[in-house]
Amino acid sequence: MQEAKNKHFIKNIEIKNFKCFDDFKAEGFGRVNLIGGKNNVGKTAFMEAICVNVYTLDIKTFVNVLFANEYARNHLENINKKITVKDNLEKLDLFYTDSNINELEYKILERDGVKEYFFKINDNEITVNINDYSFSLLRNLKVKFIDSFGFNNSQLKEVYEAVQKKDKEQILYKYLNEFDENILNFKIIGGDKPMFKVDVSNNSPYAHLEEAYRDISEFGDGLKQYVSIICSLYACTDSYLFIDEIDNGIHHSKLDKLWNIILILAKEQNVQVFATTHSDECIRALVTANTEDVKTYQPKEHILKDDEIKFIELGRTNGKVDSIIFNFKELENEVAQNMEIRGW
Amino acid sequence: MVRIFCEGSDDKVFLRLLLNDLKKSEDIIGFDNFDSIVKVMGGKSNLLDKESYSTIDKQVGKQLTKILFIFDCDFKEDDKVCGGFKNSKKAIESLISALDWKIEVDYYIFNKNLDYFIIDTLDNKKNFEGCEECFELKELNKNRKILTCIYKSLYPKKPFDFSHQNFNELKQKLKNLFKDEK
Repeated sequence: MQEAKNKHFIKNIEIKNFKCFDDFKAEGFGRVNLIGGKNNVGKTAFMEAICVNVYTLDIKTFVNVLFANEYARNHLENINKKITVKDNLEKLDLFYTDSNINELEYKILERDGVKEYFFKINDNEITVNINDYSFSLLRNLKVKFIDSFGFNNSQLKEVYEAVQKKDKEQILYKYLNEFDENILNFKIIGGDKPMFKVDVSNNSPYAHLEEAYRDISEFGDGLKQYVSIICSLYACTDSYLFIDEIDNGIHHSKLDKLWNIILILAKEQNVQVFATTHSDECIRALVTANTEDVKTYQPKEHILKDDEIKFIELGRTNGKVDSIIFNFKELENEVAQNMEIRGW
Repeated sequence: MVRIFCEGSDDKVFLRLLLNDLKKSEDIIGFDNFDSIVKVMGGKSNLLDKESYSTIDKQVGKQLTKILFIFDCDFKEDDKVCGGFKNSKKAIESLISALDWKIEVDYYIFNKNLDYFIIDTLDNKKNFEGCEECFELKELNKNRKILTCIYKSLYPKKPFDFSHQNFNELKQKLKNLFKDEK
């Protein structure tokens, strides 16, 4: 039963010719996967490759995710620039990935001076002359990728809709109130303005304000990241959520609560989660969120088994990117003994 | 990266002291966090059991490139299989062979145990042995744990004399472990 429900989960991946990955294999992913490693080892690229693999439904979604990943990664450089899909595809040049979900290949062929795109999606191979390709894109709305810049307002609005459609607003308010006791509510007002309702009663730090609903831009990045993650978990039911630098802007004291919410909602909404971090505190918070005493107070249906939580350590062996995958018990033991597991 | 496997948390505390001493004398360069290098295996039987290393197996050859086992040989009469120096040596060599890690692996065995080893290096060793005899401590605790506890209580700020010749072999093994590591 459990197996059938989780059949969309990616369990293994092979990546060739993608950014820092020449020829890489990893297997044993869980429901919730935290990725650690040193700078520039390829944590984000690893997650992007997994995202491309599971996002792709057809050629339009394949091209869309290749473009979107590259665009998001160069977010700041792309401001005021007109980056086309063609530019990005030509920059990428070559890509191969295989998993229990999809086998995908993309490359540019050159025959008699004519350039062609070659796409392979499982058994389906497509070759198109570059000049004839329409570059039409299609989004896979159930897969979400929160990059290191966080969601913009329109992305946040999109995932908040899922909370509304599932009537989970009250739970969201409860989680936000636990994050900051002065936050009472969250709404998208007027169709496009994300706003938090703050406590303006006498003893609140917001007592001087007349208007309780405040624009999201008045709050720190941590709160925005928090609400983005919670709403995304509701938006990714039976699908996948990717979070780059999950602890961005979030104080360490709030991280175990965030992980606790992620573990509960990943199970409840049947989401496979991948997240990256550099932070020892973030890894420890994941362990704390799943200790026996925390689990004692949780409904059985929200408790994850030890092999549903994985820590993926990336490093370089003889110059090539490599991985070590720890299950929860192994992670707990390494953390308890202060062993270094944040890359090599 | 290197890793040291020891039996218990007292061993870890002692090894951290010794490693920091080696760092101070610049025999080890470039390391700050020795805590993350020394792993407690939870007793000699776990340390010598191949099954204890399933997580380490994943790391060997990737994150881990050099390994050092450090443990007590204990007393022959207490354990016919692993007690005493000869049996301990045989057991660790058999473990290393069974693990078959294709990386540099070495071991160091304390004569009897860490507490014996430490007492032997004290400049006022005779006083402690007198105390041991007077209170008939050997009958209570032949591991000399009580004596090292007394030493630590009497001289909380006085470190062990790591320049004592008895430390030389262990220090050399630690230096070899960290050689070429950064």
